[in-house]
Amino acid sequence: MRDQLDLVPDAILVGRAADGDTAAFEALARRYGPHMRASARRLTGSYADADDAVQEALVQAWKQLDTLRDPAAVKGWLLRLTGSRSIDLLRRRRNHTSLAGGEDDAPPDTVSPGAGPETTAVAGAGIESLKAALATLPEEQRRCWILKEINGQSYEEIAQTLNISPASVRGRLARARTALVREMEDWR
Amino acid sequence: MSMPHDTFECGHTLEELSIYLDTGEFADPHHLESCPECRNGLDSLRRLSAAGNELFASDVAAAGSGTDEWMKDILANLALELRPGRTIPLRSDDPADTLSETEGAVLALVRSVADNLPGTVAGRVKLDGDVTLPGEPVTVRADLAVLFGQHLMDSAASLRQDLAEALARHTELTIAAIDITITDVIDAPREEQ
Repeated sequence: MRDQLDLVPDAILVGRAADGDTAAFEALARRYGPHMRASARRLTGSYADADDAVQEALVQAWKQLDTLRDPAAVKGWLLRLTGSRSIDLLRRRRNHTSLAGGEDDAPPDTVSPGAGPETTAVAGAGIESLKAALATLPEEQRRCWILKEINGQSYEEIAQTLNISPASVRGRLARARTALVREMEDWR
Repeated sequence: MSMPHDTFECGHTLEELSIYLDTGEFADPHHLESCPECRNGLDSLRRLSAAGNELFASDVAAAGSGTDEWMKDILANLALELRPGRTIPLRSDDPADTLSETEGAVLALVRSVADNLPGTVAGRVKLDGDVTLPGEPVTVRADLAVLFGQHLMDSAASLRQDLAEALARHTELTIAAIDITITDVIDAPREEQ
């Protein structure tokens, strides 16, 4: 049933991929690719950058599969790699643009000036006001929030990704949520 | 940089409540049952969390499917390195020739034999023993996933027999034993949860 790799549990695919089975690895990539891409897009702000980050994460995953202690935990691992590669990509680009004197890149879903409470109060208002509120957060807080809520990472894992202490993660996340709640209340 | 208005009249803050929701830690848990402000705060945080889940679902849906072009492009660009593993010597009739096969090729053979049986798929495969020395006893250890409804013992037995034949035909390894571990029973089509 090789043609049914998409039905096979993660741990089996990880074992095969670690042995060199590229088809099994690609099945894993297809399984978690959309989640990885969604997370990377929210972190980097564009699908072009997201696809670069996902690709780098997958290359790293292939090389380091042997280091994965619990093969069944591959999903969280792939998302952590995706988070790290997305943050790296942002840092590289930031350095590059500041050297070149380029303009600041806008976070994703910055609301256009015309979009006010009236337009967001309709269907999907929760999502729309959250997107708008996220755009107002300081970058560091936004990253913490995305790594927690979209990637499902623990404080310790976020701390490693961002190279800060778990206590800082805890503080930033709490401040992010406080700001988001306030911001979303203002939209009502 | 907590702002004054972030502190409720009861002295607690949304930040404390946020940490409480994540960790369950709160100095005075009974207070949360009776304080209307804190209860409101918790409700707000739960609404935020629900909006976060909605955003997540809509982001993943917008990202597309793993079979879309963007994923095909990524996979095409990966250029995954091969994993040849150890080099397994083969006998040759002419002493001037050096023949060998890779461990990776033998692992692929084991997988393909397992995959060709109805309702089974191989996982990790190991060759225990020094395969680089001719004649050394080698134990093949294979993880196996079996489709729900298949008879486990029958699946393992026929796999062991097929593997013994295939390894005898395609390798010169001295197989001491074939150990099969059924690690998973596949019960239904899987989707990301």
